[in-house]
Amino acid sequence: MSDAPILSARGLGLAYGSIVALHGVEFDLPPGRTGLVGANGAGKTTLIKILLGILKPTLGTATVLGFDATDDMLDVRSRIGYMPESDCLPLDVNASEFVVYAAGLAGLPKNAARQRASDVLTLVGLEEERFRPLGGFSTGMKQRTKLAQAIVHDPELVFLDEPTAGLDPEGREEMLELISRLGGFGINVLVSSHVLGDIERTCDWVLMLDGGRVLRSSPLSHLVDADIVAVEVIGDAEAVAGHLSAAGASVETSGSRLLVSTTDDDPFLLVRDALADTGAGMLSMGPKATTLEDVFLEGSG
Amino acid sequence: MSDRGVVYDLGYVPYEGERRERRGAIATTYRDGLKRVFGIRRRARKKILPWSLVVLAILPAVVFVGFAFLLSTFSPEAESPFGSHADYFSLSGGIVLLFVALAAPELLIPDRREGVLAIYSSRPLRPDDYVGARATSLLTVVAAFMLIPQTLMYIGFAALSSDGFFQALVSNADEIPKILATAVVYTLAYAPLALLISTFAARKAAATGVFLGVIIVGAGLAASLVAATSLPGSRYAALLAFDGHPDFVRDWIYGRGPDTDIAMSNAGFDPWISLAVIIGVAVLSAVLVVWRYRRLM
Repeated sequence: MSDAPILSARGLGLAYGSIVALHGVEFDLPPGRTGLVGANGAGKTTLIKILLGILKPTLGTATVLGFDATDDMLDVRSRIGYMPESDCLPLDVNASEFVVYAAGLAGLPKNAARQRASDVLTLVGLEEERFRPLGGFSTGMKQRTKLAQAIVHDPELVFLDEPTAGLDPEGREEMLELISRLGGFGINVLVSSHVLGDIERTCDWVLMLDGGRVLRSSPLSHLVDADIVAVEVIGDAEAVAGHLSAAGASVETSGSRLLVSTTDDDPFLLVRDALADTGAGMLSMGPKATTLEDVFLEGSG
Repeated sequence: MSDRGVVYDLGYVPYEGERRERRGAIATTYRDGLKRVFGIRRRARKKILPWSLVVLAILPAVVFVGFAFLLSTFSPEAESPFGSHADYFSLSGGIVLLFVALAAPELLIPDRREGVLAIYSSRPLRPDDYVGARATSLLTVVAAFMLIPQTLMYIGFAALSSDGFFQALVSNADEIPKILATAVVYTLAYAPLALLISTFAARKAAATGVFLGVIIVGAGLAASLVAATSLPGSRYAALLAFDGHPDFVRDWIYGRGPDTDIAMSNAGFDPWISLAVIIGVAVLSAVLVVWRYRRLM
């Protein structure tokens, strides 16, 4: 798989009258699974609609798989799949009919559409229920049907808009598991969600929006800072902190939690020595891991 | 039965076969439209009305041909009491009106109400393609409604002709362009207007009601105002009689005097004005439907 960006934006903006939905959005997203995160109203769905060619940006350009999202709309749509957040299922047909129809709409011949629909419905766990009318499906089954129609034609890239919305914990786990597996099928994924934990579990890149602007676009691995050690102390944390400061480390204290960094020495060794010298215990120790929530709260002020 | 599925890892095979892209998407939308108006692959109650109307549209033609057969067998000298092709359009026109009133909302409204337009928006399909495919589905079915019984009558009467089957086909060949032209006129008179109303109506029943209301109320209003000749300009109310326009043009095509109950005729208009109204309403309807769907998709 090429490392060329699958999605790019340059100075992308869109306004509904006086309301600015997106402003100066710029990013290059690599192949793989990318999380699109932001609060409600951050511009996630608007961005997806621009990338699908449904909305035309008032400023800037967006490219999808190397095609201009506006000018080459049909080329883009021939290569992508989309799972909308909102209801999109006809209630009076069964799941099999609908997914066959979705495959036909993507240009697959009739026999291939039937075969693909059968395979994909099995993949999402709806083999038994595929001949039941969609109107009788639970929320979890509907979400899986929506995912099936999004990937039935084997797209290069699939947009998933809030795929875990309305799911109970077990249904959510199953959906996240399916999303995690899409990368293994050679399908690139852009997952939009306001549940940061879902993104942390399923993605390897994050695009964070806030108020229509890009807050961060980076690999999730960048959120782990190996130069800072976080240690949860059992006992006299202030004594441990004092010992570390005396050894030349920079220490940030928050209750029993210490963040330790040094310029020269290995901070893990300094913490080990400080704990041994003060007789304090330790609940946990590891590189400081910043959660998406930390970044989001920090970035959005 | 559990509502929770179990994920089996059967592997995933990428698709490397043919992709018909836009052409395939349009054809799929068109075929779905044909199935939808007849309730095919849907619950039984969705099939009852459309198929009843199909039977109503075709059955008289079968009966006419059957009676003509009996008449030619038992009383060859007797003159056939059955109507002409033009007369049959009067009968099938009313049935088509009902069919269009039911079919147009079925084609457009569920996709909007159930959010399925979002799926079309992720496929290689432009809004114009979607509208075009849906409209073509309706036009195909309506034209078939008109033409199938006419074809049955044309072939049936030819088969019973004392001149012989092929001779009768040839000698009546001048009927063919008239039949085709009249079918097109009825189709254009009803289908685009029904699609326009279905484009803006939120519910199928409302769209059906409004469409039939426009036709029925328009006809009544036109007849009343045209009759009130003392009012200045009242004759122009005849333009509102949408059900009368195709009948007026049909009589023009067949070169016969118009029915006395056609408002346009009573108001002193020429048939070409009815044809212009039909085409004008069809074009305006098409423009508005496309405009609306370009905003939705």
